[in-house]
Amino acid sequence: MTKYHKIATTSELSTHGDHVIQEVRGQEIAVFNIDGEYHAIANYCIHQAGPLCERGELTGYVGEDQDGEWTWENEGQTVTCPWHGWKFDVPTGTNVNDQRYRVPTYDVAVEDGEVFIER
Amino acid sequence: MSDLEPEDRINSIEQLDVVVDTDGHVAESYEELVKYVENSAVRKQLERSESPLSDVYTTVHPSPRNRDMYGGGGAYGESFTYSPDNKVQELEDFDIDYSVLNSTRNLNISSVNNDRLASALAHAYNSYILDFLDDRDRFKANILTAPKIPDRAAEEIDDRADEDAFVGVAMYLGGLSPPAGDRRYEPIVEAAADNGLPLVFHSAGAGLNQAFPRAYSGAQTYIEEHAISHPFQHMASLTSLLFNGVPEKHPSLDFVFLEAGIGYVPYMTWRLDDHYLEAPDQVPGLRRLPSSYIEDQFYFTTQPLGHTANDPNHIARAIEMAGPGSIMYSADLPHADFDPPRELFDRINSHFDSDTVRGIMGETAVDIFGLT
Repeated sequence: MTKYHKIATTSELSTHGDHVIQEVRGQEIAVFNIDGEYHAIANYCIHQAGPLCERGELTGYVGEDQDGEWTWENEGQTVTCPWHGWKFDVPTGTNVNDQRYRVPTYDVAVEDGEVFIER
Repeated sequence: MSDLEPEDRINSIEQLDVVVDTDGHVAESYEELVKYVENSAVRKQLERSESPLSDVYTTVHPSPRNRDMYGGGGAYGESFTYSPDNKVQELEDFDIDYSVLNSTRNLNISSVNNDRLASALAHAYNSYILDFLDDRDRFKANILTAPKIPDRAAEEIDDRADEDAFVGVAMYLGGLSPPAGDRRYEPIVEAAADNGLPLVFHSAGAGLNQAFPRAYSGAQTYIEEHAISHPFQHMASLTSLLFNGVPEKHPSLDFVFLEAGIGYVPYMTWRLDDHYLEAPDQVPGLRRLPSSYIEDQFYFTTQPLGHTANDPNHIARAIEMAGPGSIMYSADLPHADFDPPRELFDRINSHFDSDTVRGIMGETAVDIFGLT
C-alpha cells in the first residue's frame, strides 16, 4: 500500500543542492532540490549499506569523449557515498559506473508548500 | 562446508564472540605530528617545511588523490584530522570489538630521505599514538619504525614495547628500499623477536611510480626476483591496460598474459573492480567493470601452476574464480618450471565439465590464436 508522507517544506528545499533526510516507514530517504525539481532517493548505498546522502554534496563525475578528452558529466545531480565513493545519479538512482547497480528512488509530490514522497 | 553439522556452523555475525580489526588507521596531520618531535633542532626543521609531502616525505603521486573515502578522505589533507572520538564511533558503527591501529601519513616513512628526520618522525608518531590511545582499551597499535637507521629503530622498539598499547612492530613498505628481508634490518627483526611482538608489514598507496623499481633493486637472489617479478609485472601491466581504457578502445583485441600462473587473477579482478567503483573519476576511459573486460578480452595461461600438492583441488577453484573461459594451458618448455599437460589436467578434470576442460587445455587457444 503506497501512501504519501510529508518529508519537508518547500522552504527547506528552496535552492539547488538543498536536501533533507527523513525516515519514512523504516527507510531513510533523502530529497534533493536539483534545479528547482525535487528528487527522492534512498539514503542507502547498495554497496555496503553506507549512508549514501549523508554528505549530501551534489557534484558530477569525469567521463571521456570520443577523442579521449576528459569531460565533466552530470554536474549537480551526482551524489557520492561517504564510505567508499560510489557515485549515483540522483534522479534515476543509477550508479554512474555500472547501470546494474541502482538505489531506490521515490516519486515526489508538492502541495501547499509541503513536499511529500510516495512510499 | 556442506559436510558441517548445523551445530558446527555460525549462522549470523551476532554469534561471534569477538571481532578484531587488525588494521585500523589514525589520520595524523603533519602539524600535529611535528608537535611531538622532541629534538628542538629537528622540530624547527620540520616546522619550516613549505611542502611536507615533497620536502619531508617524498610521496609523489601521478595524479591528485581520490578523496571520496570514508570519513571525508582528508587523511593527507591539511584541514581534516580524525579524532579519537571518530575512531570510537567507527567501532560502534561497525560492531568491532578491537582495532589495531596503524598510521596513515607514515605508511610512507621510508620515503623520508633524511634519516634523522625519519627517525624523529617515527619517535614522534609513537608518542602521538600513545596519547591517542590513552585509556582506550579497545585500541592497540603497532610501533612505527623508521628502517633507515635500524639501530635507532631497534632502540625505539625496546623503549616502547613495555607499553600495553603496543602489540606489534610495523615496517611499512611504501618506498622501503632495499626490500624488507635485507640484512641491514636485522636489528629491527631481532628487537621485535626479543620483545615477543609480531612484525607487521603494511603496503602503501604511494611509492609505486617512484620507489618501487628502485626498492626492488636490492633483491638478494635470482630466485627472489623471479618469484615476484613475474606476478608484479602482470599485476602492474593488467592494471595499466585496464585503467587507461585500452580494451575499451580496442574491443576486438584479445590480451594474453603468460608466465605468472593464474592465482593472482581473482585477487586483481576483485581489486580492480573495487577501485573502479570507488574512484570513477580516475578511470573515465572505462565504460564497464574491469572484470567485464577481463571476461571478454583477457586470457591468462596456467604455467607455472605452483606447488599445489597440499590440495590439488585449489588450482581448480582458483580457475573457477578467475573465470575458466579466460584460462589457457601453457607448458613453458623447456624452462625449468615447465608444467606438463597432465599436471593441469589432473587438477581440473574432476572439477569442470568436459567442454570447460577442453577449453582450458586447448580449445580456447585454438580460438584466440586462430589455430586450425
